[in-house]
Amino acid sequence: MTDDLLDGPGEAVGRVLGTADATPLTFWTAVSPGSYLQLDDVVVTRRELPDREPVTIAGVVTQVRARHEGAQFDSDVFAIADGTLPAQVQEAAEVTTTRVDPELYVPPTPGAVVHRAEGDARARALHFDRMERRIPMGMGRDGVPVYLNADFLDGTRGAHVSISGISGVATKTSFATFLLYSVFRSGVLGGDAVNAKALIFNVKGEDLLFLDHPNTRLDDATRAEYARLGLDAGAFPDVRVYAPPRVGDSSGTPDVSSRLTGVDSFYWTLSEFCADRLLPYVFADADDERQQYTMVVHSVAAHLARYAQPADGGVSIDGVRLGSYADLVDHIVEQLNDDETRSDWAGSAVGLGTVNAFARRLIGSKKDLGRLIRGDLATRRPHSINTAESAQVTVVDLHNLPDRAQRFVVGVTLKSEFERKEKAGTAKPLLFVVLDELNKYAPREGSSPIKEVLLDIAERGRSLGVILVGAQQTASEVERRIVTNSAIRVVGRLDPAEASRPEYGFLPPAQRQRALLAKPGTMFVNQPDIPVPLCLEFPFPAWATRVSEAGRAPSETLRSITQSADPFAVVGSGTTDDDIPF
Amino acid sequence: MTRFFVDAWDPAYGASFEAGGGGPAAPSSAQVDADVELPAVDWRAIGVRRDVLAPEVVLLVDGVRRIDASLWTAEEDGGSFPGIAASYAAGVVRCDLERGAAELAGARVSRGLFTASPSAEDVVAGRVRYPVHRVGGTGELSKLPPAVQGPLTALEVEVSNAARIDGDLLVVDGPLRSRRQLPRTLGYIKTQHSQYLDARLTAVVTGLTPGQRSPVFRLGTAWGGYSWYLRLPVTSGAPWAGIVRVECSAELTDAQAIELADLSLVTLPRFASTPYKDPRAPQNLIPIAGLERRLRGLLGDARLLHRVLTAAARGIRR
Repeated sequence: MTDDLLDGPGEAVGRVLGTADATPLTFWTAVSPGSYLQLDDVVVTRRELPDREPVTIAGVVTQVRARHEGAQFDSDVFAIADGTLPAQVQEAAEVTTTRVDPELYVPPTPGAVVHRAEGDARARALHFDRMERRIPMGMGRDGVPVYLNADFLDGTRGAHVSISGISGVATKTSFATFLLYSVFRSGVLGGDAVNAKALIFNVKGEDLLFLDHPNTRLDDATRAEYARLGLDAGAFPDVRVYAPPRVGDSSGTPDVSSRLTGVDSFYWTLSEFCADRLLPYVFADADDERQQYTMVVHSVAAHLARYAQPADGGVSIDGVRLGSYADLVDHIVEQLNDDETRSDWAGSAVGLGTVNAFARRLIGSKKDLGRLIRGDLATRRPHSINTAESAQVTVVDLHNLPDRAQRFVVGVTLKSEFERKEKAGTAKPLLFVVLDELNKYAPREGSSPIKEVLLDIAERGRSLGVILVGAQQTASEVERRIVTNSAIRVVGRLDPAEASRPEYGFLPPAQRQRALLAKPGTMFVNQPDIPVPLCLEFPFPAWATRVSEAGRAPSETLRSITQSADPFAVVGSGTTDDDIPF
Repeated sequence: MTRFFVDAWDPAYGASFEAGGGGPAAPSSAQVDADVELPAVDWRAIGVRRDVLAPEVVLLVDGVRRIDASLWTAEEDGGSFPGIAASYAAGVVRCDLERGAAELAGARVSRGLFTASPSAEDVVAGRVRYPVHRVGGTGELSKLPPAVQGPLTALEVEVSNAARIDGDLLVVDGPLRSRRQLPRTLGYIKTQHSQYLDARLTAVVTGLTPGQRSPVFRLGTAWGGYSWYLRLPVTSGAPWAGIVRVECSAELTDAQAIELADLSLVTLPRFASTPYKDPRAPQNLIPIAGLERRLRGLLGDARLLHRVLTAAARGIRR
């Protein structure tokens, strides 16, 4: 075995040990005195072969142990510490192979020198050299950037991200937004980055409403960290925030409490509701699909699409003008209860019990959806969520909507976005969809209209340029086909019972254990290129994640929104000479 | 090179050494001067002196040996000599009691082919070499294992000299024999084969409580010197349980010998081993036991060496 330096690796840290089996895929390394190896360190060793070029074996440390050699009994440690029993502390590290080059799967020779991989050797060991486009994801445990292969994110060779972890400590949403920031700002998408869009559903608190505000707690150390990743620390430059209208507010002002400027309200008009057949999304609970009344839903939706006429914001059906969702529901229920019109609406072969079950649930939806489906607001006022015409990042706030309304918004928005991309027929520009609580929208059991849309995105989105960044507490409760279609799997802190499920089979046992105590900001990322998940820490967000961190609002948000304009401000004051003088 | 044959018997069967239990069996004919520290009539147990402090650094030396193979040579005249291929190692543990660290301060491994055969040459088995140590006399098999002791003692002296510093105390496992000239050195004898003292003085020795020693006496034998008995911490009440004999060089003055005896009383008991961990407890000191384990590890795998020796013998025969 030659001990000479391989081309480019760092210091020698130990030797392959021979008291445990060395295999081509895992081997143990005895750490030399004065050196250390920690979990996730990247190492490289070399195996000489007769009449062939040497094989370079690179790997990641997946376990480290230290023990007293020469001690027989547990209590010997006291004699050793007392200075009476001679013993040697020996550390050993388990290395899981990440790359064998050339691909000749031979075990390393016991006694072979193991080097810490640095620079190019580290990049080769982690396959970064084969990545043509690399998206920085954060810092490895060794403080050097780790990358994601863009080919597996943008649909070239794979798409979709699945992020799992306990709520609160796993920082799933923060990682998803950091990933988006990195995708948009690292330049790997080239010209496509300008047109690429992101649609983010904000389900908890008002955390994501300040993406365009700089973070006041950002310090120089964090800025330096961003710089090492090749990124500028800053807020998202181009963000549009949508919030549902306030309950009982006839003017349709957005229902937000902390962010006061630059928020648009979103809703659907009654005529859109009828014409686009949105009624099934009112019944988007997985339980609903198993019931008999789904026939009635589709039949009523078809009837509405055929007969509803737009009438000054509202609709008119059979000559009756309906000005609100509650009116529409009452009208449908009335028609269904009438023996003469029931068969026109629900079809002929439907039992009275089924119709009543439908009617009962429809009436139940009045309270939840009344503020989202409107007939009282000006028709020409912009109100729909359309990422193609929106800013680069579109945030849809759902956090103060009831469950049924959240499902309705997510279902309808995803459906319309996916249909729009289908019509466009090209993958570019890309659309990233960030959706938390995926287990609610695409549960493993049952079926619902939203689950169908999400499955469509998971299975066909790659070719249509719709990339799903799904987050959930438990991947085991999410539809299997969505999880398996995700090329990139990310795990933050996991629940102990959850970590043992087969969905996390990509984590080696040691990492599975570590995932139980992962700190906020620590993620394990598995990508198809690299056989071992990489442990990384992503930097503190450079954008505000709550109102207390928010810096000065970007000026565009003040200008674009009419509600926020100060009616008493002197027009033209403080502006440049280019303005029209009065 | 002389042809030789490796004995099929495991060498351990031919090397069972005397396993001593109980106390000294045979009375010794050696002259004893019991009046060195106290007059013989005044003999009594001596406890720890308050003003004596244990040395900061204690060095303990030991050696191990193992017979890797028994072999037979084939001489030109058709005769045959027995031989043993032995591995032996010596090491020093430096117990730094101030720092609380015991470390291997040096270890040397050596091997040899011990035989009386006049034509024997070094045996090279793989990457291992067994240089010839020619034994005098007829060289029957039973005389060969003790012949390893000489080179082993020389090796022990070599490693212990390399590890010494000022103010330390060297404890040698076994009698001092040829190591009398080493300064601040104690010989530590675990097993009592001979009874040096008469019945009345022996009663003082067997009456020692743990942590006490007998007065210093002087042996008049060829390897004689100052000597004393000491009882290590022990729970058994048997008369000779935990009793060890400690000796030092005859070239010292009486006062120096007594000083060393007091020093041994504050130093050695803390090294005593525990019965459930060591079958030779408490006499087999903890550092020595640890050292022996390390040295045995350094000797190499016995089966492997037996294999390469067998292969080497076969190679010569062809």
